[in-house]
Amino acid sequence: MPYPAKVLVLGLGNDILTDDAVGLQVANAAHEALAGDPHIEVKATTEMGLALLDEIVDREAVVIVDSVQTGKAPPGHIHEIGPEDLPSLFATSPHFLGVGETLALGRLLGLAMPRQIRIFAIEVQDPFTLGTHLSAAVQQAVAPAVERVIAQAGEFAAMTTPA
Amino acid sequence: MNPTTQEAFNQGNLRANAAYQSARRSVTINPITRLEGHGRIDIFLDDKGDVERAYLRVPELRGFEVFSLGRPAEDMPQITSRICGVCPTSHHMASTKALDDLYKVESTSAGRKIRELVYNTFILEDHALHVFVLGGADFFVGPEALPAQRNIVGVIGKVGLEAGKKVISTRRRLRELIAYFGGKVVHPVFGLPGGVSKALKPEDLPKFKQLAQDGLEFALWTLSVFRKLVHGDPVYLKMITSDAYTHKTCYMGMVDEQNKVNFYDGKLRVVDCTGKEVCKFAAQEYLDYVAEHTEPWSYMKFTFLKQRGWKGFVEGPDTSIYSVAPLARLNASDGMATPEAQAAYESFYKTLGGKPVHYTLANHLARIIEMVYAAERMVQLVNDPEITSPEVRRVPTSVPKVGIGVVEAPRGTLFHHYETDEKGLISKANMIVATGNNAARIAMSVDRAAKGLIKGGHVSEGLLNEVEMAFRAYDPCLGCATHSLPGHLPLKVSIYDHDRRLVQQLVQD
Repeated sequence: MPYPAKVLVLGLGNDILTDDAVGLQVANAAHEALAGDPHIEVKATTEMGLALLDEIVDREAVVIVDSVQTGKAPPGHIHEIGPEDLPSLFATSPHFLGVGETLALGRLLGLAMPRQIRIFAIEVQDPFTLGTHLSAAVQQAVAPAVERVIAQAGEFAAMTTPA
Repeated sequence: MNPTTQEAFNQGNLRANAAYQSARRSVTINPITRLEGHGRIDIFLDDKGDVERAYLRVPELRGFEVFSLGRPAEDMPQITSRICGVCPTSHHMASTKALDDLYKVESTSAGRKIRELVYNTFILEDHALHVFVLGGADFFVGPEALPAQRNIVGVIGKVGLEAGKKVISTRRRLRELIAYFGGKVVHPVFGLPGGVSKALKPEDLPKFKQLAQDGLEFALWTLSVFRKLVHGDPVYLKMITSDAYTHKTCYMGMVDEQNKVNFYDGKLRVVDCTGKEVCKFAAQEYLDYVAEHTEPWSYMKFTFLKQRGWKGFVEGPDTSIYSVAPLARLNASDGMATPEAQAAYESFYKTLGGKPVHYTLANHLARIIEMVYAAERMVQLVNDPEITSPEVRRVPTSVPKVGIGVVEAPRGTLFHHYETDEKGLISKANMIVATGNNAARIAMSVDRAAKGLIKGGHVSEGLLNEVEMAFRAYDPCLGCATHSLPGHLPLKVSIYDHDRRLVQQLVQD
């Protein structure tokens, strides 16, 4: 397998904060399905902010799956966010650095940043209570989110430059 | 608040949030940025349209005690470090120290030194993050800059690309040291009652010596840049020392036997707003000195000095409100235990008009002085012959009952308190986090900023920015952990008129 794999699927979240674990669960489920593809690596991490930079450097494409709480969609809704939405949505992330800023920072530092990025953000109900079970509405979003993540990662893998 | 009341309160709040959303008739301007968690500020006006009271409300991490009940105490350093992606190492260390106390076992000398090395490395790394990425951007780039520029990219524009690379690479190497001992930074397997799980191999020592030296140079460079760009600028200096950002409260911080700042171990010392010592106590005595006050408008518990009693959000020599974090630690101590940090400490008080300093925004420079101390302490520790000793753990033999541990987290004093049955299964668990210790003073800062910027019903343009700067200086961690992507409401300011009708809301869309 080329290192690092050209396409990264990155699940973000906290595994003991109820719905905040959803990004990790989706990534873990996708991991099995994508295990055979040499161009795709799947990771789940509880880190955030600047640590994202270390993960996305030298990748051609990145699929991020995380939780989100906009209050404007029902719990379980899957928001799909492309690069065109990044500046407005993520430039002011309170978690240290948004994805948009991380990309800008990486480019400024002369690091190889992914050319393609897609974010699946699942609307959550409760990311504040310690617990290890997703709420029902969010649990129902896991399977469709896994499907979309797998499809997107496959699409990116097909577009990457031949080795 | 008991759990039933709290649940009712939570439900009510959810409904209220939904109602606000649907009844929104407001303008939307740029919001708070770069805060961890989500905050909400409610501002109530009097009949003249001036501010009667402004409140900062924060979501609360719920269910800690319930989640902990019945679990083996040994799991707590892992569980608590997972609560917060921002300061995992602080929770891990406070929890490990609580286990020492629970099993009445002291770490071996080498184990203690390794803990202290890891902990100071964490403080240096986390403080650097705040200085360059979170709060310091206000100064490096300027409070008047557009939000899109007030970030690390803007900071690099100001300090230079090479310097930017230095920031990023130093931070990464510091995290590698933490990972050497604990594995994942967020899920460290490191602290054990009586010591640590891993010794430092002699062959790995040279790279850590180099890192400590580089870390010290980095901290001293940060100090010189900040002094030049910020404290050397009369405009900034005027802002830092203005009344809008000044509060005369008590200060708490951990000190060693010589009353010097210590992040890892020592006694808690509190001074009043004249600098006079109010009390000094061991972690195990904290319940005799610290109590929590609740207000109907906030989930947050406001800690205060128990022996003085709750007197409200007031300042002055008799106040029971204290603050924590860098400025408070410097104020509560008699100095720093290392030479470069001590020199910076003396210069800090000389240029800011003597001790104690009450300027909230001075937290930024105080934070950099602590970076210098943390780096100097790292250098001392990696040059200590005992640091590579394999004797890193003493196995405990006593029957557990109660354990209390405390550390100075980057954001201030952090208490962990566990009680167990004789098998070591948790029967009671309590935490007081740094932002809780700072909550009362933060509330006062928000109130002050709002009062200065809303007059006769007119809301000044700079409201959000000023409020933001007032509480970002504390580096508050507002919902000890949530990781959800924001892009939504990091901060929402709601303004209510005298009849308690919502008249304006400032949010991020």
